[in-house]
Amino acid sequence: MTLLGIDTSTPAASAAVLRDDGEEFEALPAPERLQRPPAHAAELMPAVAGAMERAEVDWGDLDAIAVGIGPGTFTGLRIGIATARALATAAELPLRRVSSLAALAAGIDGLVRLPLIDARRGEVFAALYEGEREFWPPLVMRPDELIDQLGNAAVIPLSAGDGSLRFRGMLEAAGIPVEPDHSPAHLVSALQICRLGEGARDEPPEAVLPEYLREPDAKPQL
Amino acid sequence: MILALETSCDDTCAAVVTEDGRIESNVIASQGLLHARYGGVVPEIASRHHLELVDAVTADALERAGARLDDVDTVAVTRGPGLIGALLVGVSSAKAIAATRRLPLVPVDHLHGHVVASTLGDDPVEPPYLCLVASGGHTFLARVDNPSGYEVLGQTLDDAAGEAFDKGARLLGLGYPGGPAVDRLAREGDPEAFDFPRSAPGELDFSFSGLKTSLLYTIKDLGDGAGARAADLAASYQRAIVDALVSRTRAALERTGIERLAIGGGVAANSELREAVTGLGVPVWVPPVELCTDNAAMIAGAARFLERVEYPGYLSLDAAARL
Ligand SMILES: [Zn+2]
Repeated sequence: MTLLGIDTSTPAASAAVLRDDGEEFEALPAPERLQRPPAHAAELMPAVAGAMERAEVDWGDLDAIAVGIGPGTFTGLRIGIATARALATAAELPLRRVSSLAALAAGIDGLVRLPLIDARRGEVFAALYEGEREFWPPLVMRPDELIDQLGNAAVIPLSAGDGSLRFRGMLEAAGIPVEPDHSPAHLVSALQICRLGEGARDEPPEAVLPEYLREPDAKPQL
Repeated sequence: MILALETSCDDTCAAVVTEDGRIESNVIASQGLLHARYGGVVPEIASRHHLELVDAVTADALERAGARLDDVDTVAVTRGPGLIGALLVGVSSAKAIAATRRLPLVPVDHLHGHVVASTLGDDPVEPPYLCLVASGGHTFLARVDNPSGYEVLGQTLDDAAGEAFDKGARLLGLGYPGGPAVDRLAREGDPEAFDFPRSAPGELDFSFSGLKTSLLYTIKDLGDGAGARAADLAASYQRAIVDALVSRTRAALERTGIERLAIGGGVAANSELREAVTGLGVPVWVPPVELCTDNAAMIAGAARFLERVEYPGYLSLDAAARL
């Protein structure tokens, strides 16, 4: 099947087409993009159009759209999901949801993998995978809590993601290796979203919402 | 036909409007009650609900218009000003709808929408006209010589008129949003019972921040007696806001010599203001309430007068909290 995948869980928006002949076309920024403020509205649709153009597919050639539902930056996730839902509705395509942490984990080259997405306010969004198995479901916590929990797990995972970059010092001091700074493994790849989306269920577009993992700040604007 | 989306504050809106200004549908999903317990709009909660509602509201607008996406020639969307996270939901959705169909997109200034709301429907106002826009976020007077734009003649230097209603309502122990609550209670009170200040910062500008302070002190002075005078307080407070709006509008009409007036924005739903502007000696266009409060029909209305951005020129379009 031919899929369009998108992810906006980190400041690095990404889009990809996985064509039914197995060819891959991805618009993935450089890992340095993670360090700058997000600009998903400006960057996502050009990435989508670029990937589709290079793959030489039009909307009618797609079989489904897969979208990373986070966890990640709230505004980014809403841009990605609002885009994916409207694309799916207007192009009459099924929509599939994929965990952005699962997609990040899929790009880490190790048996036990610790994908970490920066959650701001001194916290990370985390999950833990061994092979295909999800050890921890997506969680939000401080890195010291994470290190405590891993101490009980008796395994040494390899970590990647902008959360691991932010807390590299703490993680490495606790014996948890982090992918090198400029490794593309820190990016949530839309190609991995496509691959995981292949095995996912079709969802009604309005049922696809971000995995926030945090309650909203209830500070009114007046 | 134009399909428009508007998500700048706490209402998720979609509308279908024809090129000649006929409103085929105008759907507004209000989140008002959701925010009531916080006493104001919570940006993150508003953004979350926009995302939950936007597809259903868009589908509803098409269905009520008896239209399908295939019938849409142009997509319009509010680009700003407003809450950035809220705006981005509408902008993302509109861009995606337009892109799948290679349709042109029109990014619209939310305030332009309010200014041209009266150009919609069977009895459209013709330029040149003066427009008073008063809402929870904005209060200004604009002159319109050509509906593709507007010139601001005067504006509030601090609180918006709708904000003054909300803050007054809170001091009076009424609910949020404050405008309708104050309006209702004011009907039972004496608008001349209390003399609240009508501050006049510039000839055509507004200032409402001193007014709420004055209400606060009046309530304090009344002490336990304030409750019994709530209707008089509401009526006098409302009169002060309406007086300020009407006196500047009169000054602007005199200064410009323009002989048509339109009003817009949520505060234009206020019954005393709607009545008071009819006494200004010029024909007045007062849109129905659903065109005064935030809505997408007015965004489509403005889009009719603006240049379309052809595909793929809008793919990198971003929302803007301020324009
Ligand atoms: Zn408004």
